[in-house]
Amino acid sequence: MDLFLNLAINGISTGMLIFLIAAGLTLIFGLMDVLNFAHGGLFAWGAYSAVWFYAISDSFIISILGAVLTGLVLGLITEYLIVRPVYGNHIQQILITLGFMLVLTEMLKVVFGPDIKAATTPEYLSGSWFIGDVTIIKYRAFIIAVGLLVFLVMWAILKFTKVGLIVRAGVMNKEMIQALGINIKLVFVGVFMVGSAMAALGGALFAPSSGVVYAEMGLEFGIFAFIVVIIGGMGSFPGSLMAALLVGLSNTFTAYYFPALSMAVTMILMFLVLMFRPQGLFNVSGVANK
Amino acid sequence: MMKHAEKSTWIYLAVAFLLIFIPFMKDDRWFLFLMIQIFVFGIFAMSYDLLLGYTGIVSFGHAMFFGIGAYSVAVFLDLMEASFFGLLVGIIAAVLIGGFIAFLAGILTLRLKSHYYAMLTLALASLFMVVAEKWRSVTRGSDGFTFRIPDFPGILGEYRNITMYMICLLFLVLFFFGLRRLTQSPMGKVLVAIRENDQRVESLGFKIMPYKVIISVVSGVVASFAGVLYAISIRFVDTSVFAIDVTLDALLMTIIGGVGTLVGPIIGAGIIEFAHHYLSGLSDVHWIFERWIILFGIVYILAVIFFPYGIVGTIQKHWVKRKYKKRNEKAPKTDKLAS
Repeated sequence: MDLFLNLAINGISTGMLIFLIAAGLTLIFGLMDVLNFAHGGLFAWGAYSAVWFYAISDSFIISILGAVLTGLVLGLITEYLIVRPVYGNHIQQILITLGFMLVLTEMLKVVFGPDIKAATTPEYLSGSWFIGDVTIIKYRAFIIAVGLLVFLVMWAILKFTKVGLIVRAGVMNKEMIQALGINIKLVFVGVFMVGSAMAALGGALFAPSSGVVYAEMGLEFGIFAFIVVIIGGMGSFPGSLMAALLVGLSNTFTAYYFPALSMAVTMILMFLVLMFRPQGLFNVSGVANK
Repeated sequence: MMKHAEKSTWIYLAVAFLLIFIPFMKDDRWFLFLMIQIFVFGIFAMSYDLLLGYTGIVSFGHAMFFGIGAYSVAVFLDLMEASFFGLLVGIIAAVLIGGFIAFLAGILTLRLKSHYYAMLTLALASLFMVVAEKWRSVTRGSDGFTFRIPDFPGILGEYRNITMYMICLLFLVLFFFGLRRLTQSPMGKVLVAIRENDQRVESLGFKIMPYKVIISVVSGVVASFAGVLYAISIRFVDTSVFAIDVTLDALLMTIIGGVGTLVGPIIGAGIIEFAHHYLSGLSDVHWIFERWIILFGIVYILAVIFFPYGIVGTIQKHWVKRKYKKRNEKAPKTDKLAS
């Protein structure tokens, strides 16, 4: 039982990390109908810049803020230069964001150097609590808390505020919203920036938990995030959370019980979901079918 | 039959004929190797273009077929001690497995829409990569293995590189004309129609799925064959043939050369392989060339925005426009009346 609890906590915290990456993608992919394959690149930039800010400021909070700022700026650049010319064309979106992904990954090597960087956990978050035989690593608990917080805040904003209403309506019918006198372009820039900042936040939180950052992690986790968004159903925030937890838990448990299968389990999961419920587990009707 | 061949056919044949003489003029081992790579990836990119350019589906798992081809021939040559029989069995296995997997994947996944399909094919390809890494008794994991290919008989054996060059060139030409025939056939027209508007095609009474499955099988078989040629040209295979980079390479080659044309991917393959070889060689001149992928990514982004038809597509478009204009100038009055 203790082993089960330990594994479950690890799985949930992995799931929360994946959720943080996927949450930004859900916004961009699900709500704006943009297939952003450069999302993993933004995630890697978040991780690298967090490590860099930590090194110069020696403060965990500043490193997180720095990463979020990087995400916002990169999101603005991405929306303006890369995504704006290809709204509404899925194939071109895939192609152009993949190209941008290549640039982002290589730029990381140019700016921060090609080798793997070590990331440190702040002192007040390292170590662990022991409750009976159950070990809770502090940093993992912290990630779970942040993940839940981000989920609740984003969900509440989308559900209950006017901004959320505008975004959701803008997705359904761009022209109508424009006719009501709202600058939908500006709203979309904002959504894109927030989505990118969330990817960067995910990267910043990921770095201390894995201990190292490397340029290729962008592609790796970008794919993870896509899988989660697809499993969860596009545009559904709760769906992404559930799917991320599902992926995190199944990864942790198979890694322990069937190590040979652990590399493939996520893919198998997505395969099964897509086979039997191609719209994902929690589809938001109307958005994904455009 | 030959009388009706188009003018462009003669141009392509002439270029292929000229390519035969290149190894005799520049008998540099590296250069020959580069050309062989271009031919192999030209075939591979052409097979990708059948999906992306003609049918309008984006696959992220095309490397899977390339890897299947490479591994089938490598494993059989390894088991059967570099005999021609082993080579033959390997090629047949590559084609059959590649076709079968493409068929299965096709009927399972082609119903899904663009990005779902892309992600599913990605998932399939990474499953194959996992299998190749875990099934160590056959594939020897991520270390890969070298193998010997059977010696060419007589004088061919002495000029092994040139022979290999000729074989790859021959297959490139064969596949090029074969696939061109396919894309110009009524079936090819239906594929293009599916790319443009699948609902309209359906309402015309065509069933879309069989067409998509057939083209994905053809594409898979050709890609497997490219994998076979790749493996026997470098005589080494490892799990990197299943990596997404291979698919991305094909994608970039197709985009830069021109989607929806079969010459385009070949030209794209040439550009990318040359760029890869020479730009990374320039890293002594300036450090940025070591990170040539940046330049490459920027060119690629610009190509998607400003140059969506690629090199060949843009030229073709220009040409068709001019031809159309000329025809209009000749008979302006009848045109006006007709409209």
